[in-house]
Amino acid sequence: MTGRRDEDGPMEVAQQAAHWFARLLDDAATGDDWLDFETWLAAAPSHQAAYARLEGLWVELDEVADAVAAALDAPVSLDARRAARARPTLSPPAPPRSTLSRRAWLAAGAGLAASVAVGAFTIANWPNSPVETYVTAAGQTRQLTLADGSKVWLNAASRLDVRFQRGARRVQMADGEAVFDVTHDPSRPFLIDTGDREVRVVGTEFNIRQRADAFALSVRRGLVEVRPSGAPDATPTRVPAGQGLSHRKGSAQAVIAAAEPEAAFAWTRGQLVYSAAPMNQVAADLSRSLGTPVQVADAATGRLRFSGVLALDDKDALLRRLEAFAPVRAERGPGGVVLHRR
Amino acid sequence: MTDARSALLAAYLERRGDLTRFFTLRLKSAAAAEDLVQDIYLRIAAVEPSVEVRNAAGYLYRLGSNLMLDRIRGERRSAARDHEWRDNHRTLIGSDEVSEDPSADDAVAARQRLAAIVAIVSELPEQTQRVFRMHKFEGLSHAEVAQALGISRSAVEKHCMTVLKRLAERLN
Repeated sequence: MTGRRDEDGPMEVAQQAAHWFARLLDDAATGDDWLDFETWLAAAPSHQAAYARLEGLWVELDEVADAVAAALDAPVSLDARRAARARPTLSPPAPPRSTLSRRAWLAAGAGLAASVAVGAFTIANWPNSPVETYVTAAGQTRQLTLADGSKVWLNAASRLDVRFQRGARRVQMADGEAVFDVTHDPSRPFLIDTGDREVRVVGTEFNIRQRADAFALSVRRGLVEVRPSGAPDATPTRVPAGQGLSHRKGSAQAVIAAAEPEAAFAWTRGQLVYSAAPMNQVAADLSRSLGTPVQVADAATGRLRFSGVLALDDKDALLRRLEAFAPVRAERGPGGVVLHRR
Repeated sequence: MTDARSALLAAYLERRGDLTRFFTLRLKSAAAAEDLVQDIYLRIAAVEPSVEVRNAAGYLYRLGSNLMLDRIRGERRSAARDHEWRDNHRTLIGSDEVSEDPSADDAVAARQRLAAIVAIVSELPEQTQRVFRMHKFEGLSHAEVAQALGISRSAVEKHCMTVLKRLAERLN
């Protein structure tokens, strides 16, 4: 469809632009269609001009819509329109996407995974294996494959103590955040103790965050059981996929709510996702993820709410983005970054 | 089980880079594209969870493109306001200034343009007119138009393309 771009005359370009415009008016146009369109658009400045012209016309048509519609025939039946409107947006099925892709694990974790002993044989011979400790510094994340094949992606400034026993796989994480993709093994539950809550899994994928007094769990796949730490007989709360549980240390109640696993897992892609999060939480996350202290100048700044996605690619770009999207000014000093309310 | 917001958020996080690159090309400005892509995120957060979205990536591109169109609309409106203000102002200044296109002429030009649009569209085959009207003025999706008229989706696309092409050729 894109044609021989270099040689296309204005008529051909106009034709192609109209084709793309009409194609993309259809809400069934897929992400790939848009990528193809981008390729066409980037091929020549004349393509962009032709397309922009159609956009201008399209907008102009809105302004004269009533007059044009009146000048044309009587409108199509209102019932058809209502029926159409009553239904929510419809689009064709997109191919199912795997969640945390195996490829990502393999690609990013290959180096580490290779250095860790893997296999049932090893585990069977560790009736009371020693504690393995994994630590990440601020600004550093790490992917691990544990001896049972379970995968752990450890966020910055986190510590994990792992001990595999005959009847249980035990992990302690008193301060940290990690995504777990736990290998299915009904005979040996996987137990994660954060000091506040204990999470029991058989085989599933989820993110746990224990920072200061706040515990948060988001489950992407499977089912997870949560109990207060040190209370193995307490009735567990079961958290299914798509749900999350949060608890504040000392509180009598845990809150279960629909979770956004994608947001909770976003750090594994180098992104931080916020929806009306207080700025002091954002600052604390940035301190851990950037490896540079980030603080708020005062309590009022700390209470500002932030919604947005911050990509952890480049520190300066990230701070610029934060300044653009939140009413703060980032002051860079020798001791780190201080956020001031604007 | 996955609601619209989660699906859109997942697609957004995966395609954020693609979207930023695409809108940088469209807007010819990396900063403007960043703003727009951030705006897309805020819109996702406001999406009703009950809405069913089965083509999340396409939805995001469309959402961003609509935000762009909204901006074009805003610019056109403020340009029209500026124009009006300048014309009024000019009359106050008096006869020193040569009014090349005073408001009265604008109104005439707008009428002529509307007449031209109507003429172009009404010369098109009836089915093309019908498709165009249903999609553009009555807000039906391509699938809905296709169903209502008993034609294929690609036929709907072709009719829309014909209208656009003709308008682009004949209007200046």
